[in-house]
Amino acid sequence: MLKIIRFGYLIALFSIAALLWFLVVNTWPFWAEFGLSSLWLDEWFPYESLYGLLPALVGSAWVMMIAMFFALPCGLAAAIVGSELLSKPWQSTLRLSVEILAGIPSVVYGLIGLWILLPWLQNTFDLITGHSLLAAGLLLAMMILPTIMVMSLDALRFVPQEQREAAASLGLDWNTRLITVLLPQAWPGIRSGVLLALGRALGETMAVMLVVGSLDKMPSPIYNILEPAQTLTSRIGREMGEAAFGSMHFSALMANGLILAIISMLLSFMVLRQRKAAQR
Amino acid sequence: MKILLWFLALPALLLPAFALLYIVYQALPALDWSLFVGTQDTKLHFGANQALWQQISGSLLMMLLACALASPIAMSIALFHQLLAGPRQKLFIHALLQVLQGIPPIVYGLCGLVLLVHLLHWGISLAAGAVILAIIILPLLSSNTIHALERIPDEQTESALALGLTPFQLLIRVWLPNAWSSMLTGLLLSMARALSETAPILFTATVFSGVVWPDSIFSPVTSLQTHIFYLAQEGYNQHAIDVAWASAVVLLGLVLSFSLCAFFLRRFEDH
Amino acid sequence: MNNLQKKTSKPMLAETQPQIATLALTNLSLTLTDKTILQHVSLSLAASGITCLIGPSGAGKSSLLRCLNLLQKAWSGQIEIQQQDIRQWPAGEDALRRFIVLIAQKPAVFPVSIAENVIFGLSRKQRKTNQDVRIKTCLQQAALWDEVKYRLDEPAKNLSVGQQQRLCLARALALQPKILLLDEPTASLDPRSKQLIEASLKTLALTMPVLCVTHDLEQAQRLSEKIIFMCDGKVIETADSVTFFQQPLKLESREFLRWSSCDCD
Repeated sequence: MLKIIRFGYLIALFSIAALLWFLVVNTWPFWAEFGLSSLWLDEWFPYESLYGLLPALVGSAWVMMIAMFFALPCGLAAAIVGSELLSKPWQSTLRLSVEILAGIPSVVYGLIGLWILLPWLQNTFDLITGHSLLAAGLLLAMMILPTIMVMSLDALRFVPQEQREAAASLGLDWNTRLITVLLPQAWPGIRSGVLLALGRALGETMAVMLVVGSLDKMPSPIYNILEPAQTLTSRIGREMGEAAFGSMHFSALMANGLILAIISMLLSFMVLRQRKAAQR
Repeated sequence: MKILLWFLALPALLLPAFALLYIVYQALPALDWSLFVGTQDTKLHFGANQALWQQISGSLLMMLLACALASPIAMSIALFHQLLAGPRQKLFIHALLQVLQGIPPIVYGLCGLVLLVHLLHWGISLAAGAVILAIIILPLLSSNTIHALERIPDEQTESALALGLTPFQLLIRVWLPNAWSSMLTGLLLSMARALSETAPILFTATVFSGVVWPDSIFSPVTSLQTHIFYLAQEGYNQHAIDVAWASAVVLLGLVLSFSLCAFFLRRFEDH
Repeated sequence: MNNLQKKTSKPMLAETQPQIATLALTNLSLTLTDKTILQHVSLSLAASGITCLIGPSGAGKSSLLRCLNLLQKAWSGQIEIQQQDIRQWPAGEDALRRFIVLIAQKPAVFPVSIAENVIFGLSRKQRKTNQDVRIKTCLQQAALWDEVKYRLDEPAKNLSVGQQQRLCLARALALQPKILLLDEPTASLDPRSKQLIEASLKTLALTMPVLCVTHDLEQAQRLSEKIIFMCDGKVIETADSVTFFQQPLKLESREFLRWSSCDCD
């Protein structure tokens, strides 16, 4: 029995290590040929051997920021409303609806984005198609909302009832209690929720791919979020089908994947460190 | 302040119901029996006349295979964590699971594409898709199983061990009866996850049409998720779009039936 | 001990209004989810001094205190402070809670420094004027100053539970309340903290009414002039301390005293 368990564990470790190893190995031709400098080259034309990763990096950063800009205030406010202002039955209804929102598959979000968000953006901002960083950001905001909400709800519920009552007994009004007692104590949990949500926004593929426009160029000027652009994930999703196995293009796409993996690992380590600090 | 909070929270509170209703509303034109069994109407080209049960069965098959692959491994990770791991190894396992969970699914898809599809010559196949989905749900399933086992009170384990039970007997007679429902919750959540992942199987397991039922595990399948993706981009074919929405409703129904089962199971447990 | 009392009672007297707050409950009832917690409780506190509320657990003592500062609002009946219905307190319920301040059984210090905990309840404007003096005075009144005077900036969580409870007392006193409510303030505290808290309560009670829930009968005897005995949500007996402990009038009181003394042995 124990031998089987150990065997299974080792198999799991081995296969995970093997997968990541193949990821790294397959990017090697790309790094050997172009090196790290491709990180700040801003042109990506696989047919002319131009592999600048910057546009997609900037695109990913933009959609993460836009998504967080909309989702954080909304999700946090909803969590506060949910844990402090709603009555018990409504709280569980809210929980259920968040669960539903989290359960919607990303490709369905893509469909929503494609047929609701894009026409709307097209009309509002008078764009050609509506494909834009803003569309991807808004869609991602919807997708990371449940993560932020659930983590913030849990964090707020984790604040002991005694603390609330102690603050109330000191005659502090509701706003002051929220700002001086609840939010500071729930903050570590909220922060890990934000980090997890950022990771999700970074790694989301289908929905982003359908609405971002997949145009490989830097937004010009850099704050122009109403034009089609590209993110790391949408590039992989769009071009994986075209790239021949073993070609430089394929290797470059693997490099995109490696960058994604590294950034998401960094985010995970931040979450872990936070959790460790919170335990102390 | 309260008013401001309500105002900010309003989208989040209304969004789920709105999204759900809107999807169903859009799907209504195509939601009928012929959607599932297919039509002979040749005017409806580009796959819009396909029978949806093929896609549904492809998705479910891949999900079941993935769960069948991932469950024993997740179980052994969890048991290793509980029975054999020292404190440092426990920390390592937790960190590893957290990190693996954070890696975007498409990265696993890329790895699987290289290793399974090309290097092992499996080709675009059901097996490749199932293995990739299994790896994607592995961290989630393992950490849920670990949590399920950790929730068992120490006294129970200790008193069982004091009676001289072997680890196997401990698992069967004490842990499983205590933790089966939370383990099931974890499994249901992983199933929902496996059903909703699209990007990693797009190039590794699925084709758009032409497969009714996979001949072997090394032949490609059709899946609901990728079906929606392909149809969604058919901007000039209204019927294709309707079918896409209808497929979305079917997929959503499947995913939610798993995740809401898990939700109510967990709530039932807490009470 | 005496020394400390003399030192600390002076600024306290200077700051309080000469008038002593009054508290009157008429016909207070509380029912929560089909369970009757309080039935037709009527009592009044008119003078300074400590009044102890005793009774078996589940008698509704803590709930009574929570009704008094509106942490619990589902009650019916009337509570008047200074002849003013507390539901229509002029400056709102937050102001009421500063007027009649409750100290919970389990000390809940905030995760900030000791000094900040003391002034936690004060508004920004109030914090501006002699903050340090105020912190010192309050900590002295709560008999904590000598233990923490060199580490005011340390996190309050580092204090022992007994010190935390005294910090909660200091924090409440910073609001300059007119009535003090305490819910088993010394339950599960070390003897020294217990002694210090009792001493400072006695000093405080010179200038304001103090209502203290306890089930430590010896403590009730030591502290109070007046005893209110509650059982099953009803006030059974109200008497001054000496009378109650020597010749209780009611049957329930006698039973309770007998059982409690058995417990002690």
